[in-house]
Amino acid sequence: MKYSPKQLETNVNVSRTSPLKDFCVLAGGLFAFIVGLYIFLGLCVDLIAPHLPSKIEAALGSPFEAIYAEAVDNEEARNLSRILKHLTEGGAEGLGTFRVVLVENEAVNAMALPGGVIVVFTGLLEEIDSEEEIAFVLAHELGHFAHRDHLKGMGRGLLLYALLMLFTGQDSSLTSFVGNSLVGVQMNFSRNQEAMADNYALDMMNRQFGRVNGGLEFMGKIAAKEKKGRLAYYFATHPHPQSRIENLKNMAREKNYALH
Amino acid sequence: MEQLIIFLILLAIGYGAGTMAEKKHYRSIEEREKMFLKLPAVTGKNMILEGVEIYNAEIVQGSAVISVDYFKRLLAGLRNIFGGQVKAYETLIDRARREAMLRMKQQAPAADIILNMRIETSTIGRNANTRRSIGSIEALAYGTAVTYRK
Repeated sequence: MKYSPKQLETNVNVSRTSPLKDFCVLAGGLFAFIVGLYIFLGLCVDLIAPHLPSKIEAALGSPFEAIYAEAVDNEEARNLSRILKHLTEGGAEGLGTFRVVLVENEAVNAMALPGGVIVVFTGLLEEIDSEEEIAFVLAHELGHFAHRDHLKGMGRGLLLYALLMLFTGQDSSLTSFVGNSLVGVQMNFSRNQEAMADNYALDMMNRQFGRVNGGLEFMGKIAAKEKKGRLAYYFATHPHPQSRIENLKNMAREKNYALH
Repeated sequence: MEQLIIFLILLAIGYGAGTMAEKKHYRSIEEREKMFLKLPAVTGKNMILEGVEIYNAEIVQGSAVISVDYFKRLLAGLRNIFGGQVKAYETLIDRARREAMLRMKQQAPAADIILNMRIETSTIGRNANTRRSIGSIEALAYGTAVTYRK
């Protein structure tokens, strides 16, 4: 038996692929898969949301009870309820029962929450002078309800949360971040949904008051107050006031609504 | 957001430092393997030459503990989702075993042959018992170093 020592040139035990390339391929594949899943399930949510029975919808409103607790009950609040009743008794189809809640907050905003609750912040009321403007704001929120926008937004948020939990674990920082922002108060509707809600409000205003300048006055005030450029508005909860004014004017012209 | 930045920094450190350490280690391993070419380590028990008298026989062992860096751990985690060869850990195990064998040979450099060599690999470290990741692996090589009477 002869032993001839030999240094091995190649190493069969190690593959020659670069780990960076491996990582990019795997991470990219996983990311694409998650995005695909999210889009697909988002489409499912869009299909299901309009058919959700109102009992379940009312139940979805319970996490937001904390906001109602801070509600203010005064002359202004009762005034709001009166205007809302006036708007909805005109036979608005597809809507359930509604109530409006006035919350003490300097934010110039109003929100539509699941369960048929419209939250109006006192900051918003301070900017408004006329009833027609209030009616426009309420009608806009009612538009969101009619199109089930809040359900779709919530459904997508829940979906993202569930996906993140599946892939990164329940206690990962990403999951808790999304979880907190779900319960958080800002519900972002897409530009399209906002425009549709504006159009709905326009129709409602025309039906109730015979003219639609309430919306334009309100938007005009907000536009004058806001010094931010269009870019800053990209991530805000509502589109830039100037865009909304243009949209409203176009719609009013198309449908031949009286502006004064 | 800070979590993401910390994660990326760790990833970069893991990849950079890990690759450098790996290259350096491989160079050292190849050098020493050249040195010990004359000393064969075999797994057979009875591979003694005819008519040769054994002067000395003793147990020799060498062990090495190599840790995996952050980047490799992440890569292996991704692999665990899709399946297939975990190429990230190949160099880890290869280095650990070759290093262990070299250290074993270093314990008896004057021997003629190392018989009945065995290699054992185990995982140690903080994460050894959790399902999620390997902390570091230890390779142990042991055998009988035999010296002939000359």
